[in-house]
Amino acid sequence: MSTKAKNKNETQEFHNVKYLLTSSMRTLILVVLYASKKNLNEIRDELQKPSATILHGLKELEEDNLIKKEKKYYSLTSNGYLLSTNIIKLINNWYSLETNKQFWNNHELSGIPEEYLNKLYLLKDAEFISSTTSDLSNAFNTYIKLLENSTTLKMILPIYSENHFKYMIKLLRGDTLKDLTIILTPKIHQTMRRSRYLKKSLLTNKKVTVVETEENPKLFLTFSDDFMTLTLFFKDEHYDDSQILIDKSENALRWANELFKWYREDE
Amino acid sequence: MKKISAVIKMIMTENYIDKDILFIVKSEIRLKILTELNEKPQTIREIVDNTNMIYSSVSNNMNKLEYKNHVIKENRTYSINPMTKIYFNQLMEFKKSIDVIQNYNSLWYKHDITYLNIGLIEDITKLYQSKLIETNPIDIYKTHNNIKRQLKNSRNVKGVLPYIHPEYPKLIENILKNNGSVELIMEKDIYKGLVSQMDEKLKRKSMREGRLKINIIKENLEIYLLICDDAMNLGLFRNDGSYDQNRILNSSSDEAMNWAASLFDNIKEKVI
Repeated sequence: MSTKAKNKNETQEFHNVKYLLTSSMRTLILVVLYASKKNLNEIRDELQKPSATILHGLKELEEDNLIKKEKKYYSLTSNGYLLSTNIIKLINNWYSLETNKQFWNNHELSGIPEEYLNKLYLLKDAEFISSTTSDLSNAFNTYIKLLENSTTLKMILPIYSENHFKYMIKLLRGDTLKDLTIILTPKIHQTMRRSRYLKKSLLTNKKVTVVETEENPKLFLTFSDDFMTLTLFFKDEHYDDSQILIDKSENALRWANELFKWYREDE
Repeated sequence: MKKISAVIKMIMTENYIDKDILFIVKSEIRLKILTELNEKPQTIREIVDNTNMIYSSVSNNMNKLEYKNHVIKENRTYSINPMTKIYFNQLMEFKKSIDVIQNYNSLWYKHDITYLNIGLIEDITKLYQSKLIETNPIDIYKTHNNIKRQLKNSRNVKGVLPYIHPEYPKLIENILKNNGSVELIMEKDIYKGLVSQMDEKLKRKSMREGRLKINIIKENLEIYLLICDDAMNLGLFRNDGSYDQNRILNSSSDEAMNWAASLFDNIKEKVI
């Protein structure tokens, strides 16, 4: 291949990405048809754009084998469906980062492997709660309240915190919580074992499973069957107890579960 | 479809994304610069040497990226802003999904993908390192021979079989004779066809020992999946309802094996 041809080829590397993302019309049509097949009128009603513009987009996508037309109705081809699913994933990924930008931007993210950062679309319904100067423990209290009615809890615990331990023990003494699994570092585990009280009421409690991780989990993840919460560290390595991300969607639970497994299988 | 209209609204108002990120997407050069910096921090000179871009255009676009805070300059070395890195990686993940769709176009196009649930399609990049094995006029048994070789060398096999090749019963028997295990999902008729050609004693013994599991599915099975020791194989039906024996997607990466295992479990859930 001549240098010139090679150059030309290389400049094409991102052609598809640009082609799909820089025309909102092409993206819109793919997403509109993702919901169901539609005729031109229905597409126009939904998009509120002139027919000529829509027809132009339809024609381009038809030539790319991403959509097909049958009896005046447009629908996605299998390729179009695969692509639309992944476009929606990207949009939700970006949206998820955008809505909670302050949370993500303020914190150390090294505890979340790239694979899971690429799946933030699963957290698009998340909200973050901050403590304020008038209510310094708003985040912690919100957290406590969420835990109250859980029957199973899973945690990745990167900090030694009496506050949290005290509360966990209280939950374990009650009847609601049946099962608590904690992933922690050997160092924290060791420190906890030095306290006879923690050993007895927490570590060796029948309801508790402790798993050690060799990784350095820079995240505090908690989830049950109906919520997940995430708190992180500041970039200067200090734990931040003032901001908590909360998500109750099924998707978020999937994200939490997979991340938990990732740490667990690392043992 | 409330979720979809939310997405449509996002695109129309462009509030799903910072304008500054679209600014990256609009330029091939900026995308390539960030690809380089995503690997490791570099100087402009290094980027020029690693790629075939011209110094002036790299330098020009680098200034724009720095101005918009996407890259950070320290001495002469540039690195990618951590936040931009996440946006960029998500974009690259999307690019990878386009590659998977395009590279294996003949597998997907005009084929039935309804067995792939949304989670599997969102994870389609896990199939990135696959090989598309296609028959050709000189080698019309290429797909089957490949499968046969894998079955001969595997101890543990899971399969979703919409049809039985005449050689399958012997191949399955051999795995069972060597103390391996086989779990299959198939329609009743296919199952009957399979067992009528298998050694009855071996079948009963293997089932008793839990090494042969058959899940009978009541609906029409319109997908082919075979997970062997070292690779997974995926075959699809054409839109007209016929099985396409001419192409199979084969992959031995861990990611693809995990993807295939979830697909298997998904289909298994449909068995009552």
